[in-house]
Amino acid sequence: MAEVILQGINKNFGETPAVSDLDLVIADGECVVLLGPTGAGKTTTLRLIAGLERPDHGRILIGGYDVAKEAPAGRDVAFVFQQYSLYPHLSVYDNLAFPLRSPARRLDKNEIDRRVREVARMVRIDHKLDNRSTRLSGGEMQRVAIGRALVRRPAIYLMDEPLSSLDAKLRADLRLELKRIQKELGSTLLYVTHDQIEAMTMADRIGILTEGRLAQIGTPREIYSNPANVHVAARLGQPHINLFPANLLPDSKIPAGTQTIGARTEHLDITLGGHVNAHVAWVEHLGDQNHLHIRLGDCKLTTLANPRLPVKPGDPIGLALRNPLYFGADGNRVV
Amino acid sequence: MTDTSSTSLGEAVARAAPAPIASRIRGLSDRSMAWLFITPAIALLLAVNIFPLIWAIYLSFTNFRANRPNAALENVGLSNYSRVLNDPNTWQAMQTTAHFVFWTILLQTLIGFSLAYLIDRKFRGHAFWTTIILVPMMLSPAVVGNFWRFLYQPQIGLFNHIVSFLTGIPPSSFEMLGSVRLSPWAIIIVDTWMWTPYVMLICLAGLRSIPDYIYEAAEVDRASLWRQFWSITLPMALPFIMLAILFRGIENFKMFDMVTLLTGGGPGSTTEVASITLKREAFESWRTGRASAFAIILFVAVFGLANIYVKALNKVKQR
Repeated sequence: MAEVILQGINKNFGETPAVSDLDLVIADGECVVLLGPTGAGKTTTLRLIAGLERPDHGRILIGGYDVAKEAPAGRDVAFVFQQYSLYPHLSVYDNLAFPLRSPARRLDKNEIDRRVREVARMVRIDHKLDNRSTRLSGGEMQRVAIGRALVRRPAIYLMDEPLSSLDAKLRADLRLELKRIQKELGSTLLYVTHDQIEAMTMADRIGILTEGRLAQIGTPREIYSNPANVHVAARLGQPHINLFPANLLPDSKIPAGTQTIGARTEHLDITLGGHVNAHVAWVEHLGDQNHLHIRLGDCKLTTLANPRLPVKPGDPIGLALRNPLYFGADGNRVV
Repeated sequence: MTDTSSTSLGEAVARAAPAPIASRIRGLSDRSMAWLFITPAIALLLAVNIFPLIWAIYLSFTNFRANRPNAALENVGLSNYSRVLNDPNTWQAMQTTAHFVFWTILLQTLIGFSLAYLIDRKFRGHAFWTTIILVPMMLSPAVVGNFWRFLYQPQIGLFNHIVSFLTGIPPSSFEMLGSVRLSPWAIIIVDTWMWTPYVMLICLAGLRSIPDYIYEAAEVDRASLWRQFWSITLPMALPFIMLAILFRGIENFKMFDMVTLLTGGGPGSTTEVASITLKREAFESWRTGRASAFAIILFVAVFGLANIYVKALNKVKQR
């Protein structure tokens, strides 16, 4: 395990910038999750660290060494791809043993066997070691792919949306599993996803990427409650944060220069039978809670509500803000 | 429901909706229409493929001679088969064929796969070179046979002069097509020249079917290029290579046209592959019955071998 440092990384594909001026420090034993929409440069960042792409500018240090000139094999990284990148003609056992059998490592047979079986137990695939890797379900294949990364003890594990092709139940299980394994091994992990639940639950720190730039990096708590700009605020929160013009709701505490107000469920107070300034447009019943769609002037807001709140479409309600997020004309926070 | 009401209902439906094609041609159901359409094709197939096959099987048990069609036909049982199988010429021809098939397949697979591997590197202009390499395959075997006869000509042939240029052996001191030792290789060279591109094309399809990320995973896993080749490239392209071998094997087992044009089976019978022996038996000795028996034996042999091979191929594919 080692510290990984990216300094001023730039990477263009032809005319299109994929990553711009990226600075990132991943501490030893830390789990950093990169979150961002498609095309934000998440995968490119991973591939740059792995050496599958070369940066146009900038330095990459793994464990204090500049690895710019090293091929992927020389970098001591393990990579889990989004697709099941198993060796299709090999058994599960041989797939797991593949990285260990590299002549560069010179491990003896018993040691390989011990580590393969240990990792197979960890990712719960030990009952299928003799199966052909093509005869597995999607979830099993991805476990093998993760196992193949874990069987080594690299400086850093790089994982590119490893759970995105799995169904919801399996995704939740493997997410917990991965976090447990990462804690257990104390491994350095850079994890890419566009799923905010994965990011919130797994990360020690979350980095938000937009258009190849690191918009903000911090603990999940910080990123959620203290976003630097509109883009970051929009990445987290379910339902999506409500953004509306500052003059829509009268609020004496609005700081100067505020253009947009961002309000999540916890920033909205609903009162019934008092002052009326909005209407319920629609109610979605989710079971344990309700999605309330509210019409406020020309804007539509969505918020969570207690299912026992006695409202139906068309009902007048009173809406007030409680410490919402204020954004200026440039999209940055105004405090 | 009574008969009258069902008729009137039927008429009403017929008036309301456009009539199905079948009812426009009276007395024909959709099924019989289908038969009507495929019958000509089936009849043609029966006439030119199935009937001759069955007729040949029948003739192989008789003493029929095609140059004496009116002679009395006699059933000779299995004696045609036993004569063919006990004839040393048959085994000589089989051996010549096996030699030819083995070396052409070996050379074409090795060179074809190597070319495919190089082309797959996607260097600058690889599309252009692919097209150039494919040219021999697009020529007719008759054309190829004829112009290689010129190339092999000892006095004026380009081939002899190139060999002479490279090795210093005088060009008219050897005859590729006239020498007992060289003529089998002359044919192997031409067949390899013509059909290697075909093998290359199939191998290329195999190589292109391997996704890049498997190589990337292997690279991160510290597999050397050599190990990547043996543990990824070759196993994953193997079904394609085997398919190419199957096609070339079947094709070369019945090789006739090019050998006829280049050597006609000579000198002596050094390049007399099975199909040429067969042709001599049938249209020079006019022992049609015996030739039929030989043809059936060849057919069964190729069919049997191909079947075993396809089983192996399927096993490889299922891995």
